[in-house]
Amino acid sequence: MAEATLPGPHTQPRARARRRNLRLWLSAAWLLLVALAAILAPLIAPHDPLAQDLLLERLPPMGLSGAEPGYLLGTDSLGRDVLSRLIYGARIALTVALVAASAACLAGSALGLLAGYFGGWVDRIVSRLVDVWMAFPPVLFSILLVAVLGTGLTSVILAIAIIDWTRFARVVRAETLVQSRMDYVHSARIGGASRLAILAGEVLPNVLPTIVALLALEMGVAVIVEAILSFVNLSISSDSPTWGGMIAEGRASIHFSWWVLAAPLVVLFLTVLAFSQLGEGLKARFDPLMR
Amino acid sequence: MSRQPTPAAPTLQVEGLSVAVRGGPALLRAVSLTVQPGEVRALVGESGAGKSMIGKAVLGVLPRGIEQTAGSIRLQDTALETLRSAARRQTVAAVASLIPQDPLTALNPSRRIGGQITDRLVRRLGWGAGDAQRRALELLDRVSIRDPERVMAAYPHELSGGMRQRVLIAAAFAPRPSLIVADEPTTALDVTVQKQILTLIRELQAETGTAVLFVTHDMGVVAKISQTVTVLFDGKVMEEAPTAQLLARPSHPYTRALIAATPRYTHPHEPLRPVPDELVARLHQEVAQDDAGFR
Repeated sequence: MAEATLPGPHTQPRARARRRNLRLWLSAAWLLLVALAAILAPLIAPHDPLAQDLLLERLPPMGLSGAEPGYLLGTDSLGRDVLSRLIYGARIALTVALVAASAACLAGSALGLLAGYFGGWVDRIVSRLVDVWMAFPPVLFSILLVAVLGTGLTSVILAIAIIDWTRFARVVRAETLVQSRMDYVHSARIGGASRLAILAGEVLPNVLPTIVALLALEMGVAVIVEAILSFVNLSISSDSPTWGGMIAEGRASIHFSWWVLAAPLVVLFLTVLAFSQLGEGLKARFDPLMR
Repeated sequence: MSRQPTPAAPTLQVEGLSVAVRGGPALLRAVSLTVQPGEVRALVGESGAGKSMIGKAVLGVLPRGIEQTAGSIRLQDTALETLRSAARRQTVAAVASLIPQDPLTALNPSRRIGGQITDRLVRRLGWGAGDAQRRALELLDRVSIRDPERVMAAYPHELSGGMRQRVLIAAAFAPRPSLIVADEPTTALDVTVQKQILTLIRELQAETGTAVLFVTHDMGVVAKISQTVTVLFDGKVMEEAPTAQLLARPSHPYTRALIAATPRYTHPHEPLRPVPDELVARLHQEVAQDDAGFR
C-alpha cells in the first residue's frame, strides 16, 4: 500500500500574506492609538475640550501662518482646542462602537445561528422579522428611535443594536445553513452529539470567522451612525464633544476654518477604515483555510 | 464489551422501510434487508435509487423534510423507532459508524483531526482521554498514515483527499462498531486511490469482523468486497442474493442490465452498454402500479 505523508503547510504567495499582515497591524495600531487616547483623555488632552476663549478663535493648525503653539490642530469658532475635542470624542465613539456592535452581534448571531440550524418555523419567524426590519431606512429608523428613547449615550447604543442586529442575523443564518448541511454535521450526529452540542461545537467554529469580521465592520458602522446622530444633534448632550458634533459645527464654518471640519472627518474615516480592515485581517487569521 | 450480539441476532434488520419526502414522492418503498454479523452486504443501484437513503435512515440522519413513513429498523435487536431521539442517538453512536462519500466535507474544517476521531470515544462511549488517543494513533497507523501524531494535530485542509478518506475510515473503525455504513466511499476519489481505499476497508473489515452495508453503484466493487448483494431500483428491492450467485446467474432483468453496463477493464475498446431505456421505463411503470395498489 502506498504511504501517505503529510504535505507541507498550505503554500501561498508570501507577498500576499505579508500585505495582509501589514494591513492587520496598521489598523490595529491606529485603533490602539484611538483607544489609548480615549482612556487617557484627561491626562493627554492639552486643553479642556469645553473651554472657550474668543481671543483664540479659529486658530489654524500647526505649520500654517497664525498658528499658536500649544494648539496642534488649531481651534474652532469658539476658541476650543480641536485636538482635545477629538481626544474626548474618541471616548464616546469607542464606547458606542464596542457596546452597540457587541449587542447587535450577540442578538443577531444567536438568532441567525438558530434560524440557519433549526430551520422550519424558527427560520421563518427570524427571516420574516429581518425582512420587515430591513424595509425601514436605517438612518430614519435610528433618528426615530432616538427621538422616542430620548437622547443620551444609552439610547444611541440601543438604537444601533436594535437596527443593526439584522446584519448579523442575515449573514450568520446563511453561513450556518451552508455549514449545517455539511457531512461533518452528519458524522457528529451519528457519533451521538446532540443538536445543541453540534451547533456550538461543530457549526459555530466555522461561522466564527464571519462573525468576527462582521463585528469589526459593525464597530465602524456604529461609529458612523453615532456621528450621524450627533450631526443631526440627536446623540449625546452638546457639552460632551463627539466627532459627529464636531463635523456638524465644522460644516458651518468651512469657509473660514476648514480644519475644524477636516480633523474629525479624517479621524472618523481612519477609524472606520481601520475597523473594516481589522475585520478582514482577523477573518483571514481565524479561518484555517485561509491561513 | 457488553454489546456482543447473540449469534442468531442480525446486526441490522430493516423491514418494510418506506421513506418519503414530506407530502411528496416516495424514495424507498417497503425495503427489507438484513446484515448478519461479519457480513458485507452491497447495496447497488443507479443514482436516485435510494441506496444512500437506506444508510441515512439507519443512522438517523435523513435530510430535512424527508421522513420514514413505515417499516422498522432493528440494530442488534433494538428497534430504533421505539426509542426517543436521545436514546436512539446513543444507540446508533454505540453500534454504528459511517464512512462517508465525500471526504472533503466529512471532516470539520475548523477542528483538528485528533479531536474529530476521539470525540465520540470520550464523550459518547466513556473512554479515557489517553485510551482514545492511543486508539486513534493505532488506527491512523493501521490505515497507513505516516506520522500519525502530526496528522492528529493537523487541520483537514492540510491533508489530501485520499488521506482524509483514510482518516475517516480510521474514525469509523475507532469505536469498534458492529455495523459500518460505507456510503460510496470511493466515488469521490481518483481511480488509483479508490483501489487502495477499497483494499483497506476490506482488510479492516476482515480483521475486526464488523458487518458492513456497502452502498455503491459499481458492480466491480460489489464483486471485490461483498458476500451478499441487494439490488435497488426506484426505492424498491429488485433482487437479493449471495454475490457470487448474483453475478453468475442474475435472475432479474434489471440486475442483468446493470452487470452488462459495467465497463470491463480487460476489454477497454468495448462499447458501453447502458441500462436500456425501455427496461427503465417498464420498471418505473411497475413500481408506479404497485404504489397505486397500495393505496
